[in-house]
Formats: sequence, C-alpha cells, structure tokens
Amino acid sequence: MTGNSGNGGNSTGIRVASVDDIPEGEGIAISSDITGTEDDIAILRDDDGTCWALNDTCTHETASLAEGWVEDGDVECPLHSSRFNLKTGKVDGLPATRDTVPHRVEVRDGEIYLFPGERP
Amino acid sequence: MTVSSVVVVGGGIAGVSTVAELRKNGYVGDLTLLSADVLPYDRPPLSKEYLAGSRDLDSIALQAPEWYAEQRISLIGGAVAVALRPDAGEVELADGRVLTADRIVLATGGRAVRPALGSPSHVLRDVADADRLRTQLVPGARLLIVGGGLIGAEVASTARGLEAEVVLVDPLSPPLAAAVGIEVATWLHALHADHGVETLTTTVETLLETPTGVGAQLKGEPDSREFDAVLLAVGLVPETALAEEAGLETSRGILVDAGQVTSHPAVLAVGDCARLRDHHRPEHWEAAQVDGGRAAATILGAEVAPATAPWWWSDRYGLHVEGVGEMRSPDAQHQTVVRGVVGEPPFAVFTLRGERVIGAVAVDDPNAVRAARRMIDRGVDVRASDLADPTQNLRSLLRR
Repeated sequence: MTGNSGNGGNSTGIRVASVDDIPEGEGIAISSDITGTEDDIAILRDDDGTCWALNDTCTHETASLAEGWVEDGDVECPLHSSRFNLKTGKVDGLPATRDTVPHRVEVRDGEIYLFPGERP
Repeated sequence: MTVSSVVVVGGGIAGVSTVAELRKNGYVGDLTLLSADVLPYDRPPLSKEYLAGSRDLDSIALQAPEWYAEQRISLIGGAVAVALRPDAGEVELADGRVLTADRIVLATGGRAVRPALGSPSHVLRDVADADRLRTQLVPGARLLIVGGGLIGAEVASTARGLEAEVVLVDPLSPPLAAAVGIEVATWLHALHADHGVETLTTTVETLLETPTGVGAQLKGEPDSREFDAVLLAVGLVPETALAEEAGLETSRGILVDAGQVTSHPAVLAVGDCARLRDHHRPEHWEAAQVDGGRAAATILGAEVAPATAPWWWSDRYGLHVEGVGEMRSPDAQHQTVVRGVVGEPPFAVFTLRGERVIGAVAVDDPNAVRAARRMIDRGVDVRASDLADPTQNLRSLLRR
C-alpha cells in the first residue's frame, strides 16, 4: 500500500487509503515521495477504529512503526518495543528517548486523508 | 512516611528506569542517580551496532544529557559506591562523599564471568570492553568466542561482518535450547556455519599468551590453536558486594520481594543485581526496565504492577529473534505449535499447556511474540490450530 495523492494539496489533505485497507490495530506506511516529508508516515488504526499518523521510523532504531503493535493509545515498535503515543508522538516507553512527529488525519466517507506537517 | 529523597546506585537500564518512573509518576523529592559512566548508556548495542562501529556512544545514551536536568535528577557520573549503611540511609562514594536518602535503590548490575583459563581475554559488559574488543576485530583477525549464547552469537555475527575469522565453542549442542526450544536452537546455531563461523562442541582447557596472540587448548584436540583475541561470553554474576557488606540478604543476587524491597526496608534492588526470592533471575533488558517501574511504585506507595512473562530479543546475521515465557519440550502437559516453517523466516513457535500459551519464540515475526505476551499475561485460551494457521490474525485471538 502506497496510497495516492488524488486530492493534491494540503488544504484538503492527501487521500492515502481507505479505512478498510487497514485492519484495526494495524498500520500502513505512506512513502515520503507521496507525503513530501523527510520520513515516511505510518497510518495507524487503533482498536476502536480511529486513525492516527506518525513519522514511520522509530526514533530508537530504524524499524517501521507501521509494522508495530497498536494498543491502548500507543504504537509499540516491532524491533525493541519502544512505545509512542498515537496522538502526540511522545515516547511512552524506552528504549526510544526522542519523541516522533504526529500528523493530522481525517476520515471522510471511509477514505483517509493525511495532512503532512499539521498537528492532530 | 513520605519519601523525600532517593539515591539510585547504578546507571544501567534498571537505574535509569527507576528515576524515570519516579518522576513520571509524580515523585517531587530529591533524586540522585549514581553512574559509573559519565552518561548512562544502553547495553544491547555493545555486541552489535556499537561494536561494529555503526553507532557511537552519544547515539546509545539512555537519555539525552539535558533530560536529567529537566527531570531535576542529580546525575553523578564516574561515581563508585564503596559502602552502604542502610540504617543511616547512607551511600559512601570512593571520593569520600556521603549521600543520605530516605530510600536507596541498588542497580549495581552484574559483571561478566571470567573463568580462570590463564591468559588475558576479553569480556563484553561495558563500553570500555567493547572498545577494547573492537580494536582487534579487523579483517582476517582470528577470534575465539567462548560461549554460544546470546552475546556470543551476536558478537560472532558482528565479527563476521567485520571480516574477522571466528571460532565459537560451547559445551552444549545446540546452545540456547532451553530458551528457544531444540528445533529453533538447532537452526539458529547452524546459521553460524552458514556465515563462515567454525562451531565446536567442546570447552577451552587453557589459554596461553604467545608472542603473536593467544594459544587456546581445546578439549579433545591434540594441538592448541592460535588466535588474535579471545572473548569469554559465558554469563554474568550479579554485583552484590555492596549489599553483602551492608548485611543485606543475598543468594545469587540481592534478594527482593515483589516490590523490589531487600531485606532492609529502606533499600531496594533492581535489575541484574536483584533476584526475586524463590525465582530465577531473568537477566533480560526488559526485566531490568520493569524492575525500575516496580521500585518506583513501591517508593510512591502505589500499586506494584503484576509480574509479566519475561521477554527478550536478539539480532544475528540480519535476523531478529524474540522470545517470551518458557519454551518447553513437548510432553504430556505441553505441546509445541509452529506457525510457518522453522528455518524460513518469518516464523514463530509457541509452547502451550492445555489451551494456554506459556512461551513463544519468533524469527522476524515480532508481533507473533507481542501477541503471545498478551496471551500469557492475560491467560487467554487459544486453540493450537488457530496459532498454527498463518492466515489467522493473532490479535483477533486476544479478543475472544
């Protein structure tokens, strides 16, 4: 899943996926080529179905947070289990010590729109 | 009694977690962290990226230098505690300073076992050890690794990446079977040969310094072998001297209760130096981190989190290995379930007692272990057939 930039600019967001593309508790990575950001962006879906977006690369090492375990408002890195708050990007568990970057997402008509660089 | 001052002795993950959890959970009193190093750092990279030279000391710091000031933690680097006086709440440092606190937390860690084999050899426990070993890991260098456990295997992988020649000896065949089960252990151990490491099931009888390196006499071989360096990776012993001299109860670790309290109510112990009475001492990174949280809760008078299944990870030859709980051989009460194919990552192996998962090991499938951790800790019933089915979402099994 790489998403697409069908709607273009940030005023309406970038349509990156359908909600149905992401099972609850899982995530997908959107390439920086699409988001225009330094890092890829992980779109993560919480257990209640809410979508969140964080920079994809764990600040501890180079694992993809899109492949992590989403639970209780955090994503847990698949490599060493650093935990990041889905809403704020703040570290909720070592070994990571540096926060990651959150981005705003909106779901409209079952489609996920990403606003790179905008805070949730 | 409200605790208004805490001194933590030791700057490893257990000590840093203790101070971090205290502040995170509302502790506002004086807080001092004594670290043997200038800035506390993370140890897992010492056998991998740090040893390989791809990460430096700054990048493996457990916290940024400014974090300690932000958290109002007095970090005393280069500190060596030489005496503990529990009744007085005192810790004496080698430079003569005496610190007083309402609670003292011992996070003194462990030191590498050094069998008396007769020659200078390396161990790998701290940055200085890694720096010394790294200078010898040049292309073509001949390295003998004694011990095929997690550290020995990781260093073998790193050394091969640096184009050193590696011989690895261990008396067990295969090593790690108790931790990962015989089938996975056999496959993991065979990876060494695949990557050009000579593995021998034997022991080292003597090491002798020679003009060009170290002569190693291996049991069962007629002639000694010549190496440029030898690494002893045969385990660690908990650092209990300070506690013992202070009269605290110790037995293969500083004995603690479920709240990390030692035999003296004002002294707690966390991490590799501590052992929960009547339990095995886990020696894993996460166990030390969890200990810190439990000690903080005890000091704050909060509820101590229940014990969770021990979890660990390791990396070798580009593969990520994780394990949780216990891996038993199949018997009347236990069965082993394979998800995928052992030897074809990603795959996972689970151990069940009845319909309860009691352990799991995975290679390049970390979320299988994350699921297993929760199944174990929450006591979730599962069917073996569901675990074995790669199309079955393990997360969904937790929701039943």
